Order: sequence, then structure tokens, then C-alpha cells
Amino acid sequence: MSKTNARLHRRGFLKSTFSAAGAAVLAPTIIPASALGLGGTVPPSERVTVGGIGIGNRGSYDLGCFLEQKDVQFTAVCDIKEARRIAVKKQVDSLYGTQYCSMYQDFRELLDRDDIDAVLIATGPNWHATAAMAAARAGKDMYCEKPCTKNIAQSLILKDTMARTGRIFQAGTQRRNLPHFAFACELARTGKLGKLKRVYAQPRGMTTLMSGWQPAEPEPEKNVIDWEMYLGPAAWRPYNANLLDGFNFEKGGGFIAGDVRTPNIGGGLLEWGSHCVDLCQWAVNDCPPPVEYNPPKDGQVLTRYESGIELVFRDDGWIPLGSCPVRFEGEDGWVEAGDSGKIVLSSPTLLAGRTVEEIGGYPATFHVRDFLDCVKTRAQPKGNAEAACNAHIVCHAANIAVLLNRKLTYDPKTNEFVGDEEANRLRSEALREPWRI
Amino acid sequence: MLMVRHVSRAARFLAITWLATLVTTQTGFCQSDLPTTEPELLAILTGDAPPARKALACKGLAIHGSPAAVAELAKLLTDPQLASWSRIALEAIPGKEADEALRKATESLEGNLLIGVINSIGIRRDVGAVELLTARLKDQNSEVADAAAIALGHIGGGDAAKALQESLASAAPSLRNALAEGCILCAEQFHANGKATEATALYDQIREADVPKQRKLEGLRGAILARGDAGLALLAEALQSEDKRVFQMALGTAREIPSKEVDKALATEYGRAAPERAAILIAVMADRPETANSALILKAAGPGPKPVRLAALAALGRVGNENSLSTLLDAGLDEDAEVVAAAQAALGSLPGDGINQEIVKRLSAADDNLLRLLLETIGQRRIDAIPELVKALDHPEQPVRAAALIALGNTVTPQSLNVLIAQAVAPKLADDGTAALAALKTAAVRMPDREECAAQLAAALNRGAPAAKDAILEILSEMGGPKALETVGAAASGNDPQLQDTGSRLLGKWSTQDAAPVLLNLAKTSPSDKYHVRAIRGYISLARRFAAMPEPQRLEICQNALDVAKHPADKKLVLDVLQLYPTVASLQMAIRAREIPQLKDDATAAALTIAGKIKGNEEQVNEILAKAGLGKKKS
Repeated sequence: MSKTNARLHRRGFLKSTFSAAGAAVLAPTIIPASALGLGGTVPPSERVTVGGIGIGNRGSYDLGCFLEQKDVQFTAVCDIKEARRIAVKKQVDSLYGTQYCSMYQDFRELLDRDDIDAVLIATGPNWHATAAMAAARAGKDMYCEKPCTKNIAQSLILKDTMARTGRIFQAGTQRRNLPHFAFACELARTGKLGKLKRVYAQPRGMTTLMSGWQPAEPEPEKNVIDWEMYLGPAAWRPYNANLLDGFNFEKGGGFIAGDVRTPNIGGGLLEWGSHCVDLCQWAVNDCPPPVEYNPPKDGQVLTRYESGIELVFRDDGWIPLGSCPVRFEGEDGWVEAGDSGKIVLSSPTLLAGRTVEEIGGYPATFHVRDFLDCVKTRAQPKGNAEAACNAHIVCHAANIAVLLNRKLTYDPKTNEFVGDEEANRLRSEALREPWRI
Repeated sequence: MLMVRHVSRAARFLAITWLATLVTTQTGFCQSDLPTTEPELLAILTGDAPPARKALACKGLAIHGSPAAVAELAKLLTDPQLASWSRIALEAIPGKEADEALRKATESLEGNLLIGVINSIGIRRDVGAVELLTARLKDQNSEVADAAAIALGHIGGGDAAKALQESLASAAPSLRNALAEGCILCAEQFHANGKATEATALYDQIREADVPKQRKLEGLRGAILARGDAGLALLAEALQSEDKRVFQMALGTAREIPSKEVDKALATEYGRAAPERAAILIAVMADRPETANSALILKAAGPGPKPVRLAALAALGRVGNENSLSTLLDAGLDEDAEVVAAAQAALGSLPGDGINQEIVKRLSAADDNLLRLLLETIGQRRIDAIPELVKALDHPEQPVRAAALIALGNTVTPQSLNVLIAQAVAPKLADDGTAALAALKTAAVRMPDREECAAQLAAALNRGAPAAKDAILEILSEMGGPKALETVGAAASGNDPQLQDTGSRLLGKWSTQDAAPVLLNLAKTSPSDKYHVRAIRGYISLARRFAAMPEPQRLEICQNALDVAKHPADKKLVLDVLQLYPTVASLQMAIRAREIPQLKDDATAAALTIAGKIKGNEEQVNEILAKAGLGKKKS
């Protein structure tokens, strides 16, 4: 208990050291021209100051997209791993020719800074929702990697919190800002395919399991790896280096692997579903989540919207168009798109005179740009909280149907499964103390 | 717990496997024998099982537990390692027993464990806990008091709200943030339940209180929304605020209210705002297409402050109409490149049924600059205006002709493709040759009948100038398909040195498998070593690039390449392919390749690599290796 009590006084600690934290940043003797908006750069008053929380593999990619934007001033990094903190600071300071980038081990210290407008949250999925909600309460806009939530309850709270706090939230569903995916979704949404019948998403199985309670190993120095912060809202377990893969740790709460009898379905529903299903949701005009979820059959998980449109998770049967494919079928035509940047259509007339190359695909930078523009105008970005909420609910609900291996009926108005207490109990999960969302 | 008793065997099995996966790792620690009935799970909790097993039993009880499990779960609330697992079950199990256990636990816990329990009480929205939580608002530990305030906010209702409001009036600064958040949460519930008066009072209190800025902003938003139409005055006031964050919250809130009165408020504020703010206000207007003040936006798109103009031009692309066309065309001819780009983008997306017709109509009276812009817009919007575009090809100004060619590239149909082919093969003016070929390429790759288009291009090949011939072959290569392949293949094996060169180069990077026989034939028959190398490498690359190619087809290509390739370096490329797709058959081919003198060492190394990559078939692989005198597969 003494250790527990010792952690209680963080706020007092922060209050007494906040100014010191600021002072820890080396004050430059010469302010570079870039900081003054000279030399063609964006003046400080028009920049969005950004801090990064959890900058690992994916975060580094996101960070690169942010640093490409001239109106971004990246000012601080937080990571539970010392090596990552140092690496990001070095990268950022080198780019700006300054020593401004501050380092933090506890993201709450970063959020306490009044001079940061927005944060990039690229921790492992275990932390996404908790950190996002804390950021919103602290008045920060955020770009948050996916999967954004661990269960249905978190998805709903995410949407409500962003609305209540008036924060701009962009889920890391960058395909919403890729022209070829947007085009495919538009064909479906605007009736160009005729009456929409079926949309397909590829969950892409994940067989590596990295959660659980493993034998205790000697815990590294807190300054090197802060295990307490790494666990964060996840239920307690001892340190074990195998669990340090943030990408897989506690993804989707207890659903990391789903039904192990069908290794292609499970946690993957959330990992890739948060992309593919998100696009399917866009194709159906971001309507409420499906009302019917069926257990796996013949390699597919079939769900059905209230309108009768089917959303099908399947791993096989795709045209080879790269990862994260989607397919939309209407009465008059179909379209399929994937990460290769290519689109295949039932008829070239759907292109309306354009070419696939002309429509274009990557880079993913568009998504970051969309976010930054919305930070300034307060418009809703493409991967906004409501869209992310619905897409994640679809994945979580499908995961529960897989887990329970039975058909479930979901009521999007009450956000409850109809007549299935077990399914309803799986909609949320307590967070470890003292965390909340 | 009727539901628990009725859980199917299948569901129980699945629950077992699910729970097992929670402890399944790459290192193989697994507890697949975890039971799924409540008594058995409880037995784990009461026995001397290790903590890991007890933790998982808690997860099991989250699904299968009933009030009967509460007492044992509650005992774990004092355990720093298992408390969080226990609360997973206690939060999920319905009934007053869990509520009472959590409340009881608050009496003895402290620190983070207490906070965790208070958080769970809040999530369960236990109305019976309001009194104890109210008392905790005065806890010496400020983080416990914070948690109590948030929990009260989640529970909501008159009593919780009253407790929070009263505490806020006299609270220490350190607690005000959480109290304010609790009040906001209560107000939100009031509003959702139709109690606007209560909601408004709470929101107003937070707006006026000495609490962090973010909470005040949340109060502001709530106060506007809860008031309905009466909140518009507050919105207008916020839109005028010099405080950037208040202004930003107003911008977001304005988008949440459908009333047309909001558009009036936006227009009023626009009239007195500085350019940077005015530009953002226009962005808000554009997000309200049903009620947007299009006249205001249209005026803003004319000459004036640049940020405002750019925002208005972008807005017209979404909410403009036929009346916007002249303004956009004027902007499209502006001297400022950013204005021009914004106008062009808007011209491309400008909504309105009569827009396309009007654009074509304006061609006849346009001066050179406007004509160019109109032609560009025709191409951008894919307007069917072939006669007008063809006519523009005779215009004396090259930029106008170039715009017409680009537009033709975007709009010609199979029936009018010959217009572009003629321009590409023999342009009326030499200056137009490059633009015509670019336009032809644009058109060709989007033609619905690829074969018909390829046939037309093949027929034109003989008519063109040398540069045009190369370009046509390039276009055919981009298009692909049987006719294109046939034409490029014929060029590569023909008598014209230039076409041989271009054709063999394009063939060598052909992107479909049907090029295999053409490439093999060229590799066999070409008298030129240069073209032979291009062809054989292109041929081998087909086997390398297509992972889904059936194995017999891949092996046939590999064998043919080994037979036909003249140079050892090219034969070695075959070994690379075999290693990339390791199978028993590819192993056997690599072993046979050892008989080629220049390849013996490389083929031996390749065979061993392939053997190491093959999964399964140990016995057969070792037999093949032994027969070749290569020992055994390395494990």
C-alpha cells in the first residue's frame, strides 16, 4: 500500500514541478528565424503546437507526417521508454535546429502544458481511449491511432467526451483521406452502384498473442521502462518483456485472440476492422452500426444493418489489391479497392471518364492535413469521433458474436444486445485504478 | 442468473478458449483447463491457486458470475495485484449485492484501491452511493475527492448535482476541476432527460465559477445547447469573444445547431470580424449547406482580403450554384496563384444542374484567357463538348489549344478517339505534338473497350512520325491487353531498329503473365544480344513477380529460361526465383541446374537454401538432398 500511496500525489508533484519542467527545456540564446516565421515558414501565431504520446513504430510514421507540415510546431514527446523519448527529441530538435522538444515519462505532465494545442496519441491500443479522454479533458485536440477503443462502452464514451469537450478528434483511419478509397465509398454512398446490397471488410487474422499474465521477470529501472505506466488501465500483472509489444498488448481488452478455433478471426476484427469496417461504414453513409451479428460460418462473419445491407468480414476471396481491401456491391455494380492504390470496378463507366491513376492513392499525409485544418476551423475531420465510434462498435460487437459463437441482435438506439446478458456484460471492462475514461 | 444456467455448451467451450488465450503467449504458458461454471471459478478464488489463475477466474466471473460470487470477489479488493481483476467482475455482475460490496469496501480502502472502487461505483451509477460519495468530496486525499466528484457526475440526478454544486461553492482550488466536471456530467444527463432548466442552471454555474478554462468552455457549449433558441444570444456573444478558445468552442457549437438563426449570427459576426476570423466563419457557413448564406459567401469570393477570399472560393465549391460561376471564373483569371488554384478547384466541384451547359455557352464570347479557363473547366468537369473542343484546336494561341487537348483527353469517347489519334500522329501545329500525345494517353487508358482502342492505336502506328511511334508504343504498354501485347511484340521482333529498341524495352517490363510466350520467343529469336537480355530478364521476372502463379507454370518458365538464357548471370536469376518459392519441385530443379557447369556452385547453394525453407516433407527433402550428395537439411 505504501507504493500505492506514493503514487497518489502526482498532482501535487506536477504543481510543484510544472514550472521546473518548463525550465528544464534549454533556453536558446538565439531564437532561430524559423521560430519567428521568417524564411517562408508559418508564423508562430498560425502554428499548431503538437505533443506526441507513445511514439514507437507507427508513431514514428505519424510523427513524420506531422513534421512535414509547415504549420506544426512539435514541442514535446512522452514515452514510457527512455530510448524512444531521446530518439524523438533528437529528430525534432535536429529538424528545427533548437533544443525545444521536452521529454516526459508521464503523459499527464505533457497534457498539463497550456502551450500545447494538440497531441498525437500513438501508444499501444491499451492506452488509446484512456489517453484520448484525458487529452480531451485537458482541452487538447488529438490525432489518435487505431484501434481507438477496447470495447463498446469506451467507443460511446469517446464520442460523447469529444462532443462535450468540443475537441477535434481524428482517428488514425487514414484511408478516409485516400482518394481511391474515398471514391469507392462515394460510389456506394451516392447510389452509383444501384441499391447497395453488401459491403465487405477484411479482418486479416492475427495469430500472435501477447497479452495475459506471464511469469514475473526483473523489472527494468523505471526511467528505462515505466512498467506501471505501460500497464496503465490494463488489469495488473507482473513485468514480463514479452508483453512489451504495445501493438498487441491488451488490444480490444479481452478479445485479443477471439475464438482460437478460428485463428483468422478474433483480435484481427479490431486491428484491421477499424480500418476496413470504417470504410464500409462510410460506404453506408455512416449510419448506425448493424443490428445483427452472426457467428463465423464458412470463413465469414455476417452482420446486417437495419436497412438490410449486409456487412461481411472475410479473409479470402479478394482481388489482389494489397492490404485492407474493401468491396461494395450494389444491384447495378460493384467496386473493390485496396492499399495498392488500385480500384477494380464492375464497369469502367463508373469512373465517369476518370482513370484509376488519376483518382490517386497515397500519401497518408492527407489525413494529418485534414486534422490540422479542422483544428483551425473546428470542422469535423474525416475520422471524427462519431464515425470512429460506430466503426469500432461494429468490430467489438462482431468480436462478441465470435466469442459467444451465437447470433446477436444489437439495438443501436440503446446500445444493448437484445436479450443476451452475457453479450451485454462484454460491452465494457473495468479499468485498473486509478485510471478512468 | 437464469442466463448463466442457460449458456450453451458451445458458448462455454468458447469462453474457455477465450480465457485460455488471455494467458497464451508465444512462450506457451496456457491454462486451458480454466472452468466456466460459477462454483468452479469461485473454488479457484477461495483455494490456493496462484494469482494468475485467480485473475483469470475473475474474468470468468465477469461473464458467469452471479451475486453469489460477490463476497469472494470483494475480498480481493484489498489485494493490489488482484483488485483490478476483481473489479472487472464486480462492475459486470448485476444486482444490489455488487453495489453494496463496493460501497462497503470504501470504508476500509485507501489510496488507489479506494479510487478504483469509487470509479466502479460511478460506472455502475449506484444511486445508493450518493451520500458516501458526497462525504468523500471532503476526503483529505484530493485524488479520492476527485474520483468521488466524477462518480457523482456519472450517477447524476438531483441529489448528486446538489452535492457537487454545494461543494463547488466552497471547494479548495485543487478540487474545483473535478467538481466542475461532475457538474457538467450531471447537466448532460439532465439535458438528455429533457430537464433543460436544471441543465442550464448547472452549465451556467460552471461558466461563472472559478474553474479551469476547459470546464468553463464545456459549460458554455452546454448552456447554449440546453437553452435551445434562447441560447443563440449566448452563441453570438461567444462568436464575438476575443478569447480564441471561446471563439473556437462557439464555432464548433454553431455546427451543432440546425436553426437558421445561427446563420444570421454568423453573418453578423462576419461583418465585423478581422479577415482571419472571417475566413473561419465562412468555413462554418459552408458546413451548413441547408441554410448557408450563399449571397454573403459569393460576395466574399470577390476581390478582398485573401484569407477570406480563399475560404469563400472553397465554400462555393460546396454550397455555390449557377450564380457563382462568374465570380469563380473571374477568380480563376486572377494574378494570384493561390486564388487561381482555389477557384479552379471550386469550378471543378461547383454544384448546380445548369453549370455545365452555362460553361459551354460562354465559350463563344470568351477572350483568349477566359477561353483557356473554360476549356480547362470542361476537361475538369468531364463535360461532353467534343465539337467545341475540336474547334478550339484551330485557335491561334497555343495555351488555348493545349487546354483543348487536355480536355479532349478527359472527355473523348471511343467514337471520337480518332480526333486525338489524328492530332497525336500528325498534329496540325508542331507545338501541339507533345500535348496531343499526353492527351491521347489520358484518353486511351480510360477507354472502356481496351482492345478496340488498342486496335486503333496499332493502326496508327505506321502513320506516325518516329517520336509519335515511340509514344504510341508507350501508350499501348500502359494500356496492356492482348492487342497491345501483340503490337508491342511485333514491334520488338520487327525490322525497324527504333521500334525494336522501344518494343523490347517495353516488353521487358510487361506487367501481365500473358507476355510470357512473347518474351520467350523474342529471347529465342532476337539476333541482338541486347534485346535477348531484355526479353529473358522480363520473362524470368514474370515468374518472380506473380506470387499467385501456379507452380507448374512458374517452373516451366524457370526451365525454359535455363535452357534459353545465353548468359550465366541471367541463368542465376532463375535460381533466385526458385529460392523465393521453395518447394520440392523447385528444389529438384535447382539440383538439376547443378549440371550446368557455370552454375554448379550457385545452384548447390540455392538447393540448400530451398531445402531449409521448405516446411514439412522432411523425409522427401532429405532423400533428394542425399541423392544429390548434399547431405541433410539443416534444422
